[in-house]
Amino acid sequence: MEITRREAGALTLGALLTLAVRARAAEPDVLVSGDNLPQNLDPHQIFDVPMQGYAVNTYDTLYRYEGNPPELQPWLAAGHTPAPDGMSWEFALRPGSLFHDGSPITAEDVVYSFRRVLALGKAPAGAFLPVLKPDGVTATGPLTVRFQLAHPYAPFLAAMPLVSIVNPRVLRQHEKDNDWGAAWLASNEAGSGAYVLKPETYMPLQHVDLARFDRHFMGWKDNPRPLDGVAYRPTKETSTRLLALLQGSLDWTDSYLPVDDVTQVAASKIAHVQKDEDMRTFLIRMNNSKPPFDNINARKGFAHAFDYHGFITDILKGYAVRDPTPMPNTLWGFPKDVAGYEYDPAKAKMYFERARQEGAPLHRPIQIHIQEALDQTTQAAQLYQSTLAPLGITLKIVNDTWANLTTNTAHPETTPDMWVHWVSTYFVDPENWAGQMYDSQFGGTWKASSWYKNPKVDELLRQARATVGQEARAPLYEAAIRLIVADSPDIWIYNTVDLRGVNNRVAGFRFCPVGSGTEVRWIHLAA
Amino acid sequence: MIAFIARRLALAVPTLLGLLVITFVLIRTVPADPATALAGDNATPAQIAAIRHEFGLDRPLYAQFGRYLGQIAELDFGISAFSGRPVALDIAQRLPATLELTMVSLLLAIAIGVPLGVIGAVHHNRWPDFVLRTASVGGIAIATFWLAIMLQLLFAMELGWLPLRGRLGLGAVAPPGPTGFLLIDCLLAGQFGVFLDALRHLVLPAATLSFGGIATIARFTRAGVLETLQKDFVLYERAAGFGRWRLIWIYVLRNSVVATVTQIGLLFGGLVAGAVVVESIFDWPGIGDYTVQAILTADYKVILAVTLVVGVIYIAVNLLTDLVHALIDPRLRSG
Repeated sequence: MEITRREAGALTLGALLTLAVRARAAEPDVLVSGDNLPQNLDPHQIFDVPMQGYAVNTYDTLYRYEGNPPELQPWLAAGHTPAPDGMSWEFALRPGSLFHDGSPITAEDVVYSFRRVLALGKAPAGAFLPVLKPDGVTATGPLTVRFQLAHPYAPFLAAMPLVSIVNPRVLRQHEKDNDWGAAWLASNEAGSGAYVLKPETYMPLQHVDLARFDRHFMGWKDNPRPLDGVAYRPTKETSTRLLALLQGSLDWTDSYLPVDDVTQVAASKIAHVQKDEDMRTFLIRMNNSKPPFDNINARKGFAHAFDYHGFITDILKGYAVRDPTPMPNTLWGFPKDVAGYEYDPAKAKMYFERARQEGAPLHRPIQIHIQEALDQTTQAAQLYQSTLAPLGITLKIVNDTWANLTTNTAHPETTPDMWVHWVSTYFVDPENWAGQMYDSQFGGTWKASSWYKNPKVDELLRQARATVGQEARAPLYEAAIRLIVADSPDIWIYNTVDLRGVNNRVAGFRFCPVGSGTEVRWIHLAA
Repeated sequence: MIAFIARRLALAVPTLLGLLVITFVLIRTVPADPATALAGDNATPAQIAAIRHEFGLDRPLYAQFGRYLGQIAELDFGISAFSGRPVALDIAQRLPATLELTMVSLLLAIAIGVPLGVIGAVHHNRWPDFVLRTASVGGIAIATFWLAIMLQLLFAMELGWLPLRGRLGLGAVAPPGPTGFLLIDCLLAGQFGVFLDALRHLVLPAATLSFGGIATIARFTRAGVLETLQKDFVLYERAAGFGRWRLIWIYVLRNSVVATVTQIGLLFGGLVAGAVVVESIFDWPGIGDYTVQAILTADYKVILAVTLVVGVIYIAVNLLTDLVHALIDPRLRSG
């Protein structure tokens, strides 16, 4: 039968139209995730929020955080024994745990993993390099590992979930130029987690596909219909992400759903908004080394000049929890009696006048650096600009990027006057916030970019770091935070409420601030 | 003609070298330090310094650039500081997606823009011409990101005719090569189901990207045809009894499109640049978004490699444009 070109064109168009169906996930028990992906897949090279979301499903750690507030649970380890002086820690592994290739996890594998982290010296190593040497990690038995620290470090256990246990038998096959298999693991996986990577479909920042690992050591009895797989399909554009959720082609967005979209998602029939209080603090930094911020009255003036309530209520529509200190208000060590600073233009004016009398150069324009890709930093800066103007302070907003800012904050002279950022939950210990932000020994890191220095605070924080036992450490952190708040080195605004759009077919969601609820072993999809 | 091509190719080398030098200097003048980002959020200054040394970032600029040129000479673009993979591999994976999108958009722009321009010129100062002129101004003025979202809302959300995003549906598996152009590879592999899926995913991004190009090509074609229609040979050929549409589509058009061909060459560059926005909105796994991430994370090897690759593409397109000119106008062939 002969077909003309016109007929062929019409048939093709018809085929296209008849194939048009409302999109759904192609396979019923595969969750399509809109979460961001890490830059590469090696959990010993990259450690950030996206990596937490990926590694929590593909790797296991000796201990893991579960629940909200997060509780440290034994995971690959059955338990641990610290020495009374905190200088050594012994961990007993759970027998019968397997890597994805079926080989059993042994103490030597844990030793290899920690030595690899230390050798690579990248993201997760930061918490361990000051206190642990490679030969300080040893296997004292087939299933027991001993860590000998260079000096006492109380957050050591809290930092355990930072290190994913990797399979050395797989990595050694792919080592190149003594790289510990880093080049290979960046695009592959050597873990033991509940889900296995399908490396053939991997494209950095674009596609990751996981399949369930049936022989995971935790078993699957606690989940009647676990997911067969997870398809990570991060969506760069906010509007596309929202549309994909409402269309049904995405099962959940990331946990930064814009407040403007919350009403729309909540009103839809296909999705709902999952709201969970996180442990991610939002703050404006002040460079205490640079005038006028070296003047305490100026700093207090700035602290009273930000409209905290207006920002949280009007701009964020109430989706944040006011937190007037550097620490999440859900964490131990948070002093409940600290009131912090509130928006009070009269007080701000009074403190600015005192500062001017003391010679603080409040007449010069102050620069606040925002992260251009993150709307809330812009909104906070613009609000601040409007409240400072009547007080005679000129605030100039400067667009910037995370890479620039973390480089510039390495030195006091290049650190901006002010900049806006969050501090996420890398590990659940006051050290992650108060310790690393306000102990002056961390100057040169972005967390300590206020260049704050108070010898009494240093003493308290260092003592807390070296003291084993939460009951003994908590009062030290509380005392330190009272002093820090009194000095007002920064402007602490809120503790985050995670907002995630979730398809109504997703059931079993469990939120934990570490990983932002992305651990999928509990999830099942309603029919 | 061969001498012409050889001259142009010889000029490409210093052009690309200059491009690399300028890009390298610009990258190094911004304060972003990839070592800081690589070291991670809890890194100490000592860690950052060690990483800086590992990647050679503590060497003098001229030494870093010289080392990079040496690698380029061996077609080694280095390893991405962040993906941990060879930059060449990342580009090879993503570039075909951008080129496929750009070429389809360009073909669409030509296929629609040229006829519209001819129609506008032939019906000069009548209602089809007015509609065309108004629409072409709108087409150039419309913001790409707005158009993309509107098309998504209409065709993906309201009507459900086309996919919202991505290059293939979930579960569809792309055939392995050889070109990286999905449409071609699917046809070569005989996977017609995947071909149709890929085609459906291409429609909205290509339509978005081509919209401005349609308007530009239509305007230039209209101007060229209008001018040619005034020429004596047209009057002669009409008097000689040439059919109207044959006269216009074969003789008049051929004499009118030199300027349009130039615009198409320039348009290609604009489409490659404009693809960044389209790729972001439609989650198209191309090189635009990859480059944006590299800039934000100061992954300078990626930035340099992409600059070089895009520079080569621009030079090739410009050369092709000149060749097409020579093909259309024999008077240009002796140059």
